[in-house]
Amino acid sequence: MPELPDTGVDDEIGSGPTATEAFEREQHEFGGVAGDSGLLQVGAIEAGPASTRRRGAGLGFGAWAAIGWMGFIILIAVLAKVGILTWGDANESFASCARKGPLADEGGAKGFLLGCDSNGRDMIPRLALGAWTSLLVAVGAVTLGFIIGGTLGLIAGFTGGKTDTILTGMFNVLLSVPVIIMALALVAFLQGASGEEGALSPEMILIIAIGVVAIPLIGRITRASSLTWAQREFVLASRAQGAKSRRIMIREVLPNVLPAMFSIALLAIGIAIVAEGALAILGVGVRPPTPSWGNMIALDRGNLFKSPHIVFEASLLIFFTVLSLNLLGDVVRARFDVREGGL
Amino acid sequence: MELTKTVAKRLLQLVIVLLFVTMFTFLLIRLLPGDPTTTIIPFGTDAQRAVLRQDLGLDKPLYEQYADYLTNLLQGDLGKQYNSGRPVIDLVSQSLPVSLQLMIYAQFIALLFAIPLGIFTAYRAGTRSDKAINTSAFALLALPNFVLALFLSYFVGAQLKWLPTGGYAPGWLDQFFDSSRSPDLIEHARYLLLPAITLAVGQIAVYMRLLRSDMIATLQENFITMAKAKGLSNQRILWRHALRPSSLTLLTVAGLNVGTLIGGAVVIEVIYGIPGMGLKIYQAVFSKEYVELQSYVVVIAVLFVLVNFFVDFLYTVLDPRIRRARAS
Amino acid sequence: MADAHRHATPHRWTRLSATAATIALVTVAFTGLGGATLRDRARQAKSGGEITFGLEAETTTYCLSKAQLAIAGIQVVAAVYDTLTVPNSKGVATPYLAKSVEPNADSTVWTIGLREGVTFHDGTPVDADAIKLNLDNIRGAPGAAQAGTLLPIIFSPLIQDVTATDPLTVTVTLKTPLTTFPDYLFLEGRAGIMAPAQINAGEECATKMIGSGPFTLDTYAPNEKTVVKKNPDYWQKGFPKADQITFVPVTDGPVRVTQLQGGQLNVMHTSSAQLIEQIQNSGQYKALVQKPGFREITYNFMLSDSPPFDSPIAREAFATAIDRNTVNEIRNKGLFTVANSLMDTKAPGYLKNAGYPAFDLKKAKKLAEQYKAESGGSFDVVMGTTTDTENSAELQLVAEQLNKAGINATISTSDQATLINKALSGDIDVLRWRNLHGSYSESSDQDNYPWFSNYNTPTGGKNLLNFGHFDDATTQDLLTQGRSASTVADAKQIYTDYNKAMAKGLYLLPLWYVNWAIGYDPSVTLNLPALPDGNGKPQFIYGRIPVLGLSASN
Repeated sequence: MPELPDTGVDDEIGSGPTATEAFEREQHEFGGVAGDSGLLQVGAIEAGPASTRRRGAGLGFGAWAAIGWMGFIILIAVLAKVGILTWGDANESFASCARKGPLADEGGAKGFLLGCDSNGRDMIPRLALGAWTSLLVAVGAVTLGFIIGGTLGLIAGFTGGKTDTILTGMFNVLLSVPVIIMALALVAFLQGASGEEGALSPEMILIIAIGVVAIPLIGRITRASSLTWAQREFVLASRAQGAKSRRIMIREVLPNVLPAMFSIALLAIGIAIVAEGALAILGVGVRPPTPSWGNMIALDRGNLFKSPHIVFEASLLIFFTVLSLNLLGDVVRARFDVREGGL
Repeated sequence: MELTKTVAKRLLQLVIVLLFVTMFTFLLIRLLPGDPTTTIIPFGTDAQRAVLRQDLGLDKPLYEQYADYLTNLLQGDLGKQYNSGRPVIDLVSQSLPVSLQLMIYAQFIALLFAIPLGIFTAYRAGTRSDKAINTSAFALLALPNFVLALFLSYFVGAQLKWLPTGGYAPGWLDQFFDSSRSPDLIEHARYLLLPAITLAVGQIAVYMRLLRSDMIATLQENFITMAKAKGLSNQRILWRHALRPSSLTLLTVAGLNVGTLIGGAVVIEVIYGIPGMGLKIYQAVFSKEYVELQSYVVVIAVLFVLVNFFVDFLYTVLDPRIRRARAS
Repeated sequence: MADAHRHATPHRWTRLSATAATIALVTVAFTGLGGATLRDRARQAKSGGEITFGLEAETTTYCLSKAQLAIAGIQVVAAVYDTLTVPNSKGVATPYLAKSVEPNADSTVWTIGLREGVTFHDGTPVDADAIKLNLDNIRGAPGAAQAGTLLPIIFSPLIQDVTATDPLTVTVTLKTPLTTFPDYLFLEGRAGIMAPAQINAGEECATKMIGSGPFTLDTYAPNEKTVVKKNPDYWQKGFPKADQITFVPVTDGPVRVTQLQGGQLNVMHTSSAQLIEQIQNSGQYKALVQKPGFREITYNFMLSDSPPFDSPIAREAFATAIDRNTVNEIRNKGLFTVANSLMDTKAPGYLKNAGYPAFDLKKAKKLAEQYKAESGGSFDVVMGTTTDTENSAELQLVAEQLNKAGINATISTSDQATLINKALSGDIDVLRWRNLHGSYSESSDQDNYPWFSNYNTPTGGKNLLNFGHFDDATTQDLLTQGRSASTVADAKQIYTDYNKAMAKGLYLLPLWYVNWAIGYDPSVTLNLPALPDGNGKPQFIYGRIPVLGLSASN
């Protein structure tokens, strides 16, 4: 439970921490940003299943299941992309199978276990290839977000002062623009810039768009973490010994910030997968015919009433993947959470 | 006094943020390929486009366009839509109350479920029911809201046909923005129920957990032990004495969410066909309505900052340490 | 203490469950209640009734001379405005708002006679001055306040002058003889006649709908609803039947059908084969489906003023690589008819197969190779369509077929306006388009000349509507001849030759004829009353139905 800083017996309104300040501390403590927007919604992963277990009791069933699922998905994705095991052609159409599948109005199609989409393309290879695309986009975007946002946040939290004010101001400005405008404008711009032949691959466009949007979010979280660590005694001690700022930042603060950031990264990958899906529904997802879980849902949501299996299958995969990532993120945080009580 | 100083400080912050946000948006949406003349006269010749661009003031240098926009803004003019010439303020009056009502209902539903659940799981922390509820909430967080929207509209809308699958009717708030829109409360509620539930579900888990953790800590405080010793019932303790001091973080987050969700529920508005601000923004991006977009961003930013300000204010008023200190 | 604990708990949770149960009950009650209210509304007990009409899109501007209306907009225009002529079920343009439309000997001067006593919704008369004002704006005459960019492309090379010779007579002088001028006064339903008050309303022209039609505008809330109410002074006595129509945009086709079945709508339209089938199989709901005769065609337009489709070999490779039957099978469940002609069965020029090549993968591969060899390298095709997921899925299917033939196909989706822009600037090579190229039985001029002829426009440059700017002498010559064909037999011959020439040139590949359908529930009577003055029965054309005869009852 976060302890409010001791304000003493102070009657004046406005002298305590502001809600946003306290909220940001909560963020750091709980490693999550609660409900930022409909598009990028992260839950405060405070007190998740991992925390209700005693620490040091070993990974529970949930965590192992999550690891297993992620391993399975990554394996399928890589195999499909590399072409070793594709389970068929993701783009080949079969008229006999169009719109058919489990739960579909027109019934199932022989030989197609998970059915086909509205173009008669086999769901299995599409979902496998889609896994690759969705994961690539998500991991790429989060990496971009961390490289730029994380670095900026680290510097802001550690350096403080004017640099911090400017950087935080930048983050706030970026965050005040509705996410949807940023994402739509970026994708439209990148698609236009890469021309019709596609100098930038469809995945790359999404990585950049989602990544840029993630920068201020990740920056803010990293800053909070960096800020906390920067005020610790050992950092003060390092300074006293005359070590240069940059050295301290990289040598002392960064290694402590990283584990918490790793947990955030796992959650963020889940969010990015969902974000790609939302953008696909808005018409700016990964360009077809490259399948991604998001654009498969977007393409066939009109067939939801007659051929629900298409949307169901992709949604289930997203659900379990995000769930696993959330679980693993929670576990990582619980492991590395060094709480020394208050500040 | 302190209060005026705070207000003044906040106002200054608001102005600075607005300045930078409008500047940033201004530049951002110029990134979009093409220009509004494409949408207004798709069959126009290059010459006709050039004339139109001039009429709309799009041939002036960027800084001049921005300065013009700011000047108008300071006079309260949010500009006009290039395509139809309609004042943006009209478009805002039409769509903002829709999004606001949707947000409010979503938050209300979320809190309606999250508060009792939060209290219950805090009270029963560590038990099996606590774990079960926590795990379900955790799982719910992994469900993308557009998936839920699609499923709800399928099952409740198409299969069971209990609720409409799209559309809108004015509610209680619309008439204050546009007096010609008289409320049709029953239809309004029917159209917004599914979208509000969809948005709420994502929040319930978050709010529940926030409340739970704060409650668990509060329940360990001395004054709770004292109340128990006095013989007060658990119900009374939980709802009357423990809830209020524990609800701080929850209310903060809920408040902040109202601000951020206004422009952020686009996917829900698209899937359910709700003519809110998010949908307007979405359409304006594709029609390259620069001025319209900038004004939406201004409106949202102002609302966001105002909401933040209000929440901050509420927070400092409700800060339990201060209240207790004053009470003693 | 423990006792107190155990006793306290049931109280609170009972209260909570009671609250939850109440909420649940109320919700269930009100979904039912609200549903009943909605259904009642849709099946009013009043005479004529109230109709809720689901459209496939919203329209943002109704300044008709400037607007680029899609079918959804044209349907609303049919309620609020009248056009000077309409095509009857035989495909002949007959006077409607006008009383007569007569040519002189060589069809260069047309005299439009108006009806006595017809007024716009604001009481002003539908007189020659009003008609002149409308026509001047449509053709982009100098000084016209509401001139657009699309209609002047069609009209300004055509019309020399418009004069109000007396209060009920308008004389139109053309620049070239044109036997089919009355067709142009309908323009697929776009040429609604606006009241001068609307035209002169500056920017408000877009929203201030004032026409002479069966319904007057009551509310226009974009993206929510457009409500029109009965015009008590309508010039066709006894009409309209309905008291009110509420147009609601529902972009999602399946949702529109669901809303029809759920009672939210009592009328809707669709052009999706599967949805039409769904309505027809749903028991009590009916569908009025367009019959063969004057239907729209979906086609892939190969833009031939730049590579790769400036080469006839490339075009033939494209055409033979696509298996249209399979695409029709998969996308339309085989319910639409594959088209091998530019116009439908009743329009002049129709042929069962005008000469479009059949699917032949081997041939396609060979031709693709040949093209690559001749042009030095690659055969890249960018296909463009709107962001509609159905269209996008269809293009993906086609792209896959092209890839099999060795053609590297990619897809570009954008909104309609950007799409047109891309076509005009050569950023895409194929345009998936849907248009009506044969809506009259006496001529195919109005539907072909503006879109495919390559004339020089008054503003300089070529006709923008011919996206591909294809310009071979044969088709251009036939189009010009068709303009002044003096008999129906001549017209038939000319357009048959034209149909064959278009197929030979392979500038486009027709896919299928599109059947529009109006879905409606049992409470609605879809009466399409006879046209005035014995001009015949009306036509369900271009997805638009006349609404003056619609009524609903419970």
